[in-house]
Amino acid sequence: MNDCVPDNGGISGSRRDFFQSVSGGIFGAALASLLSQDVGPVRGLAAESRQVDSPPSLNYLQPRSPPFAARATSIIHLFMNGGPSQMDLFDPKPYLDQHHGEPFFDKIAGEVENPQSAGKVMRSPFKFARHGECGMWVSDAMPQLAGRVDDLALIRSMATTNLTHEPAVYLIQTGKMGPGRPTLGSWVVYGLGSECQDLPGYVVLDDPLGLPVNGVENWHSGFLPPAYQGTRFRSTGSPVLNLRPDVPQPEQVVRAERDLRRRLDDLHRRERPGQPVLDARIASYELAARMQMATSDALDVSQETASTLAMYGIGQAPTDSYGRRCLIARRLVERGVRFVQLYINGQIWDNHTGLATDMKAACDRTDRPIAGLLADLKQRGLFNNTLVVWGGEFGRLPIAQLPADKDERKAGRDHNKNAFCCWMAGAGVRGGVTIGATDELGLAAVENKVTVPDWHATILHLLGLHHDDLFVLENGLKERLTGVTDARVVQELLA
Amino acid sequence: MRTVKQVEMQTGRVARLVAAAESMALAWLLLLLLQVLGDAGVCFAGAGVIDEAQTTTRDAAPSYARELQPLLQAKCGRCHGEKDRKAALDLRTSAGIRRGGESGPVISPRRPDESPLYLRVQAGEMPPDPADALSAEQLDLIRRWVAAGAPFDLDDHDSPPAVPSQHDVVPILLRRCAPCHGRNRQESMLDLRSKPSMLRGGKSGPAIVPGNPDASLLIQRVVAGEMPPHERLVEVSVKPIEPLEIETLRQWIAAGAPEVTEEVVLEPGDFPEGTDPLVPTAERDFWAFQTPCAAVVPTVSHRERARNPVDAFLLQKQEEVGLKLSPDSERSVLLRRASFDLTGLPPEPDDVESFLSDDLPDAFERLLDRLFGSPRFGERWARYWLDAAGYADSEGKREQDLPRPHAWRYRDYVIRSTNADVPFDQFLLQQIAGDELTDYEAASEITPEVYDNLVATGFLRMAPDATWANITGYLPDRIDVIADEVDILGSAVLGLSIKCARCHSHKFDPIPQRDYYRLLAVFRGAYDEYDWLKPDVRAGLGPVSQDIVGGRLLPFVTTAERRAWELRESELTRQLAEAKAAGAPADRIRDLESSRQAEPMIQALWDRGDPTTTYIYRRGDPLNPGRMVRPGVPSVLTGWTAPYEVRSPWPAARATGRRLAFARWLTDPQHPLTARVQVNQIWKHHFGSGLVRSLGNFGRAGTPPTHPELLDWLAREFIERGWNRKRIHRHMLTGSVYRQSSAVDEQLARVDPQNDRYTRMPMVRLSAEALYDTLHFVAGSLNEERFGPAVDLQAREDGLITPAEQSRARRRLIYVKQLRKKLATHLENFDYPQMNPNCLERRDSLVAPQALYLMNNGTVHELAERFADRIGQIAADDVTRQVEQVYWIAMGRPPVETERVLGREAIEQLAKSWSQSDGAGAETNDPAAHRRALASFCRAILNSAGFLYID
Repeated sequence: MNDCVPDNGGISGSRRDFFQSVSGGIFGAALASLLSQDVGPVRGLAAESRQVDSPPSLNYLQPRSPPFAARATSIIHLFMNGGPSQMDLFDPKPYLDQHHGEPFFDKIAGEVENPQSAGKVMRSPFKFARHGECGMWVSDAMPQLAGRVDDLALIRSMATTNLTHEPAVYLIQTGKMGPGRPTLGSWVVYGLGSECQDLPGYVVLDDPLGLPVNGVENWHSGFLPPAYQGTRFRSTGSPVLNLRPDVPQPEQVVRAERDLRRRLDDLHRRERPGQPVLDARIASYELAARMQMATSDALDVSQETASTLAMYGIGQAPTDSYGRRCLIARRLVERGVRFVQLYINGQIWDNHTGLATDMKAACDRTDRPIAGLLADLKQRGLFNNTLVVWGGEFGRLPIAQLPADKDERKAGRDHNKNAFCCWMAGAGVRGGVTIGATDELGLAAVENKVTVPDWHATILHLLGLHHDDLFVLENGLKERLTGVTDARVVQELLA
Repeated sequence: MRTVKQVEMQTGRVARLVAAAESMALAWLLLLLLQVLGDAGVCFAGAGVIDEAQTTTRDAAPSYARELQPLLQAKCGRCHGEKDRKAALDLRTSAGIRRGGESGPVISPRRPDESPLYLRVQAGEMPPDPADALSAEQLDLIRRWVAAGAPFDLDDHDSPPAVPSQHDVVPILLRRCAPCHGRNRQESMLDLRSKPSMLRGGKSGPAIVPGNPDASLLIQRVVAGEMPPHERLVEVSVKPIEPLEIETLRQWIAAGAPEVTEEVVLEPGDFPEGTDPLVPTAERDFWAFQTPCAAVVPTVSHRERARNPVDAFLLQKQEEVGLKLSPDSERSVLLRRASFDLTGLPPEPDDVESFLSDDLPDAFERLLDRLFGSPRFGERWARYWLDAAGYADSEGKREQDLPRPHAWRYRDYVIRSTNADVPFDQFLLQQIAGDELTDYEAASEITPEVYDNLVATGFLRMAPDATWANITGYLPDRIDVIADEVDILGSAVLGLSIKCARCHSHKFDPIPQRDYYRLLAVFRGAYDEYDWLKPDVRAGLGPVSQDIVGGRLLPFVTTAERRAWELRESELTRQLAEAKAAGAPADRIRDLESSRQAEPMIQALWDRGDPTTTYIYRRGDPLNPGRMVRPGVPSVLTGWTAPYEVRSPWPAARATGRRLAFARWLTDPQHPLTARVQVNQIWKHHFGSGLVRSLGNFGRAGTPPTHPELLDWLAREFIERGWNRKRIHRHMLTGSVYRQSSAVDEQLARVDPQNDRYTRMPMVRLSAEALYDTLHFVAGSLNEERFGPAVDLQAREDGLITPAEQSRARRRLIYVKQLRKKLATHLENFDYPQMNPNCLERRDSLVAPQALYLMNNGTVHELAERFADRIGQIAADDVTRQVEQVYWIAMGRPPVETERVLGREAIEQLAKSWSQSDGAGAETNDPAAHRRALASFCRAILNSAGFLYID
């Protein structure tokens, strides 16, 4: 597969050249169909098809139709950073019950991050049962989600390539095990623009308790323009950095200052015809003003009924915080935000110790809000165009990891790159299916293995994008989310 | 897991396969490959890998000799033949097919659907030329032949079975054992890196008994699972040894531990001049691989606009389409443009007045002289090089974002060298091989020159790096760091996407994978993944580490600096002793203790000698080593000058001299790329786009130059006039092209919409640094103290990150810490790049958060108030003068009449608004309201397009 394309050096000064050098040829072959629209100009302008004195049109987020039919137009990514334990949530392993306490470490020594604390084979402290019409296995750690399994497509055979948080998180967010690449959300908004022109196309709802591993790099746009970067909406204080003045001014003064700025810019622009960037700059100030209003409205959950709030577990410990973010996510997709990404603080799924208690606590914080989100999306008809994705960066080992005092009751599990679970639900997803399988211990995906690039390709597919055709030209090379790997769409998951 | 017996069966089978291969060692590499594939789940048992019994009598099998060979020769032989060997693959001979290419085997006998030879053809990817496409029958022929076991009905496989050599065994021992039994650490006094050292053995005796694996301690300890010790592997970032690796060790010992004496290399020099089969002669003809020739300055019609040769080259292309250079800009525009361009700051009001009133014809040239001589020049132009080098004050990649507390010395070196206009060839020599320029260890005095040489090597320490931690310090992690350095070097200096050749030969440029690894061998003395210096090693950092080597710091700061430090420290020690003796209070003691300064160190790269052998990694995988290579430069970039030749940098030097030879090759006057790439970058930063648009890619996938003659003319000027960068700047700036107006009229927009012909100057936004520095500059609060450790950052609860308020704050942004994981909000808002690993061209974006920041941020607000205070001091309460001064300082020009009127009215109006909101009614002569109104006016100006954009 080509990861690089020779530049078409012969054509200069045309829209085509502009797209190649600036926006980097969105959608490859489907380029021509887009020439009538404006996509993510970075510098310079394509003036060829436009009058010199044309209206502002530097709009990175103009909605764009995907090259083929999309199942989903919005996506909510519930990122479970830390690495939820597959054999304690979705992938029951009777073998672990039968062989509990047997030594196993020597067979996987190279795959254990903390050999000094490695223990024996460990059964799950949770009980599994089949649920729903589909009979999907879910442990009793997630009772609410268990009630919605007929909406879920569960992948049990996810596999990644590194067992350390940072590289694994980079990989699942950006397709490559290192910093500097655009994230999934950036690619999606780059490809599709945004349906909402008053809010960012890619919104991140992070946890007031703290940032996930890799911090703000989780929503960075890498080499794509910053317009495709995720914008953090905080659920406390000012939702967006600098959204409100640090030093508030009287309304009259604000108005007078705004009028002055407009007149200055008008004066400046009149002297400089043929510089659309100046129009775009004025437009960006107008967007900033609209954002101030629209953001407050989108985040105002007091407009919701008591029963809706209860559905998400808002107002109750321990679900309030995550429940609010889930509800805001719904309010954002309702308003046409393309990509909403939810985080939970630090590493609550990183259960090196205290599996029975700490992982349960993580479930308790998220189970009801997520089930509530699925139910709410469904009852409002948003399930038809919203894709919900749940998962972390890797899974966990079938052997115990012991705390310093070697107390087995407080055992947890160490990282595992060879197997983990994730699920998708909503638009385009076939509910109630379980895809792939791990070996008898849950150590490695063996059947219908789904790699991270496969996972990316599948999400893009559901949004009407093809992973090979969504690229940007960087220094003559075609850069893609799925890189140079052969990725496949997980067909079994599609409705 | 396969049993040993199965493995023996397989290896026996494979041995027969490889019997025919050209070289024994090569065959064993193939065996290793098959083993690796075997591990990956490709089962060979029963796969019938060239079994004589099968090859001769199979009815259904097409004949290789009669059918396959002619077909492959006709369809594939042109590129994969004796003469051209793309992807190191020769499909014209049975030996070549058996050997496979750079990605490994091309056939998996009996399994056409796993055989690249069949798959690539079936997918239509090969042959690339549709004229060569195979018919359905021909494709089927390949399929049937592979399905039949790929029998070679030729009488060419009678050689005795091959055995592994040291080239198969050493890589295994390097990756599994060398951290504890290698160069730096020899536990039990054992060194496992070579046969002689294995025979010498350690405390317990020889490690191997040639001919007797079972009696060999090495095998005994490994088979017993004692070595490498499982529970301690992570401490040294080593993965467990694989059963097939043990098998290879065993077989090598069983065979008497043979050493191949002829080298297993594939070098351009192994072939007669110009016949390197991996780099076809035709591909060497590409423009970028030819030495630039001095172009003749063209004669043009619009001679009145051609102030210099640069103008003439541009006019020639413009006249082709009926255009010419735009008229000169107004003086004030030119002044502001040049001032920002060369110093990153607006002109001082005094300069404005004197320049605008200077009527002599060379006024602009003299202005340029002043700007080039300003120390601010280096602060502006060093930034471009720091971007290209990927400068950062932290390691990145991991949460901890480990600081690089000594990186600032490199930043200062770049600024100083830029100001001093150190010739570019010397600038490169220092950065690539500064440690090999002088014997710093033996020097009686570290002069500023020696110090610079060492600091400059920090260039090669810029890649993000998490190898300080064991868990992110494994071989692939280390190789990633080296790959990033190669990427930086390739894009910033060579202008080639050489990084592509890490896993396979380059798809567009004639850079075989071999040449990538030859380049790695150049850096091996300093960057050796089997002998790794961690970025930082100190107590409390990461899990317990067993590594004893570490740190990338050298203590060789100038003798003067060291003495001063020592003196200060000994003085402190004396004071402390005195204070303690005198029973001084605890806080006095604490103050003295805390004023101690850390030992001054240099973050450097240096050759440590005795580098490990370099092997090609097939598919970029260190578990899949291919042939050995020697250090060398890309074959396509040879032939125009003296060959790359490694010499010891000084008598009895420990350093290999490999990088020095490389740097000398790079700066050879005949080098086709070095000068072109640099003048193109300089051009881009003045004119908005490079003559070659793809700044870091001059290869076929890049963009061809819009003005090849001009590019070459500049390159030759650069080389022949002493690699003098300021001279090149002057060529670009003193002509008419730089003085042009940025106005776009209908004709320009129609005929030259992208400004490919440079028919106007681009209108550009202030860069992140220029904006930050200028906000402080107009407020009168810019601290122009230069150099030294970087200013700290502070993070507000809501995520806003700003330079910490301290005595040294308000310095230019280049002196503020650039942490990969904690970037100042201002930088992030205005397109400061993620340095991962570097950036040749920043985005110039326009997004709402920039507007929100300039409107609402508290620091901007405060700076606007300070600006207003400054204006108030100059203009008292004369509103007209206030407006004028605001324009002089912020815009570098007086206001035009409409601006003067608008400004006056606005200040009055704002004063009214302030006064009303204070409840003082419409009282306009309220001084407090006036002061605030002036601040509001200043803030509007700082938010206006006229301030943020340069015409």
